[in-house]
Amino acid sequence: MIPVTIKNLVFSYPQGRNNILDNVNMKISGGGISAITGTSGSGKTTLCYCICGIIPHIYSGKISGEVLLFGKPIKDMDLAKIATKIGIVFQEPDTQLFSPTVEDEVAFGPENLCLSRDEIGKRIKSSLNIVGMENKRYEHTSHLSGGEKQLIAIASVLALDPRILILDEVMSGIDKAGRMRIKQAILNLKDSGRSIMLVTHDMDDLDIADSMFELKDGKLLSLAYK
Amino acid sequence: MDKYKIDARAKLIITLCLSSIAVFIQNVYVLGFTLVAAILIAMLLGAKLLLVLKSFKKMWFIFAIIVIAQSIFTNAGANLITIGNFSFLSTGGLVKGLEFVLRLAVIVISATIITTSSHREIVQGLIQLKVPYEVAFMVLVAIRFLPIFMGEFRDTVTAIQLRGVDIKRIAFKKKLKMYYYIFNPILINSIKKAHKLSVAMEMRAFRAYPKRTSYLVLKMSLRDYFVILSSVFFTVALIVAYYLFLRGGCFESIINYRA
Repeated sequence: MIPVTIKNLVFSYPQGRNNILDNVNMKISGGGISAITGTSGSGKTTLCYCICGIIPHIYSGKISGEVLLFGKPIKDMDLAKIATKIGIVFQEPDTQLFSPTVEDEVAFGPENLCLSRDEIGKRIKSSLNIVGMENKRYEHTSHLSGGEKQLIAIASVLALDPRILILDEVMSGIDKAGRMRIKQAILNLKDSGRSIMLVTHDMDDLDIADSMFELKDGKLLSLAYK
Repeated sequence: MDKYKIDARAKLIITLCLSSIAVFIQNVYVLGFTLVAAILIAMLLGAKLLLVLKSFKKMWFIFAIIVIAQSIFTNAGANLITIGNFSFLSTGGLVKGLEFVLRLAVIVISATIITTSSHREIVQGLIQLKVPYEVAFMVLVAIRFLPIFMGEFRDTVTAIQLRGVDIKRIAFKKKLKMYYYIFNPILINSIKKAHKLSVAMEMRAFRAYPKRTSYLVLKMSLRDYFVILSSVFFTVALIVAYYLFLRGGCFESIINYRA
């Protein structure tokens, strides 16, 4: 089953006059990296919000068309159910991390799913292992660099074991070394069989993508496939 | 200070007890004694008292103004300064001002006791004390957002200074006006950040179920039980004794004395 299918998606914010997404059609297949690029304000983040259910569950607006998650309309699923299937990492790590230590942060998601302590322990270990941050497990999150914080944000979402991961501008504002580490973590995720949607406005980040799309004036254009 | 390590719940109870004494008791001797006890407990548990006092450095003048206002508007006891028929300062006013300072100091010092545990331990302590986890996490996020709010404030003030405004040299009235103008954007930015955080939390299945499990589980030792029981017993005994015997005692005589 195709993880994400978007059919004729049109969306505008309540106060907006223009459609921020205009008849978007897209499929995210299993186990690859789909990159979406576009200028600032082109609607990349809005598209991410539609795919992971933040729109219409948290933010409202005029919406038509369909977003299907493993064949089911996302608008009919509750956020808890969505969170186990699709994870999203946002641009600013500081507004995602709130726990004192890395371990607490990564444990937060599995704790919400009422998993046992043994299972939570396993998930912390495996998530940190994928992003290569096992050695930072007991560190304070505020002591980490920007790139490390973003890796912890990715690990925190991975701990929910989602099959699809949306990375919304996760490499912006990160230095070259940090970007390399994040890219390696994304490739590890791809190897683990997850589907990744990488949203970026920086062409340098697209070298790891299997397929590329551009969002322009609300329309999604297919650029290339590897 | 590992020797004096106690459970986060015991620290929460101690803080609650000390703050209750500060709120319910209006006697400078008892408040003074409570302050000394709070300082000793905070030091034993490894609280960074000097750091806290330093962070309150800029607020001392506000406290001083409140104390003076309390002293002026409490007209009791012997008059110390009079202007015409108006009693400007009285012994009762001074006692009330002193009470205020002691009360505030007890609350601040007792709060430092909580800071000796990590935020996560405090949240877990609250959850294991049967506080709903949504409320406990609200506390965690509030603690997390204090430095963000302060940082936002600092950045905005720095941005103003970089535009050539020397805050140290402008008049107090203008300074107040400037703070009034920057308050709105700082508040809005903080609310935006808080909203982003709440979205991130929801996308990690927060409040997915009425209950949640916890990787961190606090376990109390005999020492913790002893600390909790003795704190509660002492606090209740002190408050009861105060309302039965001490109220209307020594300091009331000073307040009620008319020269």
